Amino acid sequence: MILALLLAVPLSACAACAVSAVSAVSRRRSVLEAVNVTAFAITFLLALAVASQVLRSGAISLWNGFLYADALSALVILLNAAVALVCSVYAVGYLREDQRLGALDGEVGSHGAEAKLRMYYSLTPLLVFSMLLVTLANNLGVMWAAIELTTLASVFLVTFYGKVTSLEAAWKYAMIGGVGLSMALFGTLLTYYAGHKFPGSEGVAGLNWSILVGQAAQLDKPSMRMAFILVLLGYGTKAGLAPMHTWKPDAYSEAPVPSAAILSVAVLNCAIYGLVRFYVLTSRCLGAQYPGSLLLLLGLFSMGIAVPFVLVQKNFRRMLAYSTIDQAGMMVTALGIGGKLAAFALMLHMTFHTVAKSLLFLSAGNIYQCFKTDLFLKLKGGVLKVLPITGAAFCLGTMAIVGLPPFSLFQSEFLMIRAAFGTAHFLVGALFILFGLGVFTGVTLHVSGMLLGTSEEPRAAWHPWRDTPIAILAVILIVIGFWLPADLLELIRRAAEVVSP
Amino acid sequence: MHTLQDPEFGNKMVTLMAALVLVLQIAMVAQRWIVTNIRLFAAQSFLLAAIANTIAYYNHAPHIYVAAVLTLLAKGILVPIVLERLVARIEIRQEIEPIVNIPLSIVISGGLTLVGYVLAEPFYRPEEAPGAATLGHNALAVAISLFLIGFFMMINRRKALTQVLALLCLENGLFLAAISLTYGMPLIVELGVLFDVLVAVMVLGILVYRIRETFESMDVSRMRRLRG
Amino acid sequence: MISTATAVFLTAVVQLLLLLTVAPLVGGLIKTLKARLQVRRGPGILQPYRDLHKLFRKGMVLPETASWIFSATPYVVFSATAIAGLMIPMISAKAPLGLFGGVLAVVYLLGLGRFFLALAGLDTGSSFGGLGSSREMTIAALAEPAMMLAVFTVAIGANSTSLSEIARVATSTTWHFLAPAQMLAFAALFIVLIAETGRIPVDNPATHLELTMIHEAMILEYSGPYLGLIEWGASIKQLLLMTLLINAFLPFGLRAAWSLGGLLVSLAYLLLKLLVLAVSIVLVETANAKMRFFRVPDLLAMAFTLAALGLVSTFLF
Repeated sequence: MILALLLAVPLSACAACAVSAVSAVSRRRSVLEAVNVTAFAITFLLALAVASQVLRSGAISLWNGFLYADALSALVILLNAAVALVCSVYAVGYLREDQRLGALDGEVGSHGAEAKLRMYYSLTPLLVFSMLLVTLANNLGVMWAAIELTTLASVFLVTFYGKVTSLEAAWKYAMIGGVGLSMALFGTLLTYYAGHKFPGSEGVAGLNWSILVGQAAQLDKPSMRMAFILVLLGYGTKAGLAPMHTWKPDAYSEAPVPSAAILSVAVLNCAIYGLVRFYVLTSRCLGAQYPGSLLLLLGLFSMGIAVPFVLVQKNFRRMLAYSTIDQAGMMVTALGIGGKLAAFALMLHMTFHTVAKSLLFLSAGNIYQCFKTDLFLKLKGGVLKVLPITGAAFCLGTMAIVGLPPFSLFQSEFLMIRAAFGTAHFLVGALFILFGLGVFTGVTLHVSGMLLGTSEEPRAAWHPWRDTPIAILAVILIVIGFWLPADLLELIRRAAEVVSP
Repeated sequence: MHTLQDPEFGNKMVTLMAALVLVLQIAMVAQRWIVTNIRLFAAQSFLLAAIANTIAYYNHAPHIYVAAVLTLLAKGILVPIVLERLVARIEIRQEIEPIVNIPLSIVISGGLTLVGYVLAEPFYRPEEAPGAATLGHNALAVAISLFLIGFFMMINRRKALTQVLALLCLENGLFLAAISLTYGMPLIVELGVLFDVLVAVMVLGILVYRIRETFESMDVSRMRRLRG
Repeated sequence: MISTATAVFLTAVVQLLLLLTVAPLVGGLIKTLKARLQVRRGPGILQPYRDLHKLFRKGMVLPETASWIFSATPYVVFSATAIAGLMIPMISAKAPLGLFGGVLAVVYLLGLGRFFLALAGLDTGSSFGGLGSSREMTIAALAEPAMMLAVFTVAIGANSTSLSEIARVATSTTWHFLAPAQMLAFAALFIVLIAETGRIPVDNPATHLELTMIHEAMILEYSGPYLGLIEWGASIKQLLLMTLLINAFLPFGLRAAWSLGGLLVSLAYLLLKLLVLAVSIVLVETANAKMRFFRVPDLLAMAFTLAALGLVSTFLF
């Protein structure tokens, strides 16, 4: 029941905002904002309820196994709902500022600021709905359809500002995403075939993950081999693994900041979730060696590709995108290393990354709006003086994301390295440290140049809508470096058990 | 009437139609007029629906009929109408010279067909189910070839609208693969996929229109501002 | 009744007569049908006979700079196509002449004719001739491999390059023409037919404009009986290729017996199928515009790929 509610809330918010054009009263910006924020608040509470129920009674399912939530789903749902809530609060302030600055009028095909706001406030709940469907769907085919829906829902979010570059970014996103997801569909089809070699199948249950997992040892091996490669390439495109990552920097720098945050964190979580589900199936069918080595290859390659691009980066929003590529590579590497410790490290990393990356994106949004540029050259430094809270938050986020102790990401990365050396993946561990150092150098260099020093801009005022979420996230980031609530830790542990029992 | 009941005849018809689908795909690679490409795609979707129907008839699998009818309506009729309207609004009728010239791309498509056959080889297991096996082999090989040729078309062509068509051909290949391997996927999945295809066409159509407005052409190689 | 050797000889004579007499008729039929489709009256089906009659009675003018090739070409072209025509099963499933190599010999004989024609075009020293020859060779470079591959496809299906064998196998297998290899080879050969006989969209047989002619450019300097021989040879080649297409792929109605009744039945079926093929050629010509010369390789590359796929599919399907 609760699962159905969880899906229904964002969907109805989307519908409500989409049809809000009908009357002048409902057309007001405040109505749209209120609907969004309340919807996401309710979604977050429902996510908490789902998580506690899963903790208490194990996996829950609805509609004859159509919707299914185990610990892994519950964790991802919780993280995504939190991000959605925080970003929706931030979006209120961000978009109001944009409207004030006139950034919503756009160069191409001017829709008017009101229509644009309506589009944003309808598409974002739709995006969240599809992300929730990804994690709740038991049927792998429906999961695929939901991931495709996230792409389609976010295309127009990328073209939001209507600039020439936005169109280019959106086209790349749509095309590369489309091709990647077609490959993933092929992989899903092959998985279905592996489960039912003989035509004349049993219908919906044939693609249900919970059922396939049980029969994994009897799946047809050659088909699963090809299926995993295709799914890895497909969902890896969505996660932004190299060499399919080229759409990421463009899309993240062109989309409005709250959308970029959701895309970068929540959609990434969903893509990793998809990869994890298929990894579990494949490793139980073919053994952990085969999928593991493929994952390691792509993960390390992504981490490696991020290093040069971060070092020579000129644009801090694109730098964040490359950092996301690096983090995705890290998570995939952890998945590839295999074993209990690595799985636990992966889940921890996912949680910590959610907090840190959203903090980074939101503070970057503040900086962008204040200075009206995202190039390092034009910023010249002094962000800490002009925007003390934002600057401090950005600094914290950066230190966390590069893996400095005592922040949380250091712990999860350390666990990953330990797992690598523990399972005799020495080269993997060494490369991991090397690439981590590279990204650390690049990011610290750029960010310190940006934050320190002086600037002619006056000190900015406190903006409640925009700065509160940043402050809260910063506090959470510091706290989770030292302490996690016991329930959350248990949820993370159970989620890791799904991956590697 | 006796001929119509003979499964051998059914196999031959399906093989023939699969070959025709392949020919249409290669014709799309060779073709420069966008409207003709759209119509070739419509014809290809019709043929796919026909193949699905034939397989459903000869293998007594009625749930494929639904998928076949849906494909016919969505990809055979609706999508081509949407795309042709878009072409009418955009007023660009011809493709510019692709990156690899046309005779060479045709030969490459032929090569990709062979690759498709090689990839379909592991699925050819005549000892398990004789009739369905040959069916699976031919149709699956054509499906994989369609997939690869669509992919190639996407890299090779420079007009945004043709890239959308190439993506749709990719999906066609997947549909054929689904039909030949597993008699289609569960209905809910087919519905989801078709829904996604339709929405994707809408979204991409709007994008193409806006690209045309902005860049005064649909040449995607002109979109080079974002780098690094 | 009659001994086999005499029967074969008689069939050869009959086939030769058929080739010589029916060929211009087919040409005239296509022209008239095309005219009717374009809402004109057209020159009439028997016009090619009148043209040939006129040409053989006229005087000839030879270029001063031409060598013996110019004089030899009409004879070579005519005899090569006639001999090749005798190798195709037209009215009986066993072709009267069976040279070593079967269908390959047919292709090479046609190639011989084309070779001499191209040389003759160059021989005149006029720029039109050279232009026509170079264009013809370009098309040949693409069309001949396609034709070869299509022919190999059928030959592999019958395990022999002898056309009689090919026709026999085609009649004996049920639904033989439904096999993808056959269909693909048929499509490829149809495109090659259009290219070799110089029809729209490859070449316009009715034009003498510099931009648009290929075959006409090579024979521009010919006149009188020489021109008559070359035109006749061209129409025999057209009939030959059409019969090859028909009887290698759809040979139903072809009788193997040497009896008079059998021959008449085969003849009737042949004329019917020729009519259908002529109508399809006319439809293709009317529905399309002539392609720019630089686009012709696209079409022929497609024929080549279809033929290659057909060949490969004999192993795979």
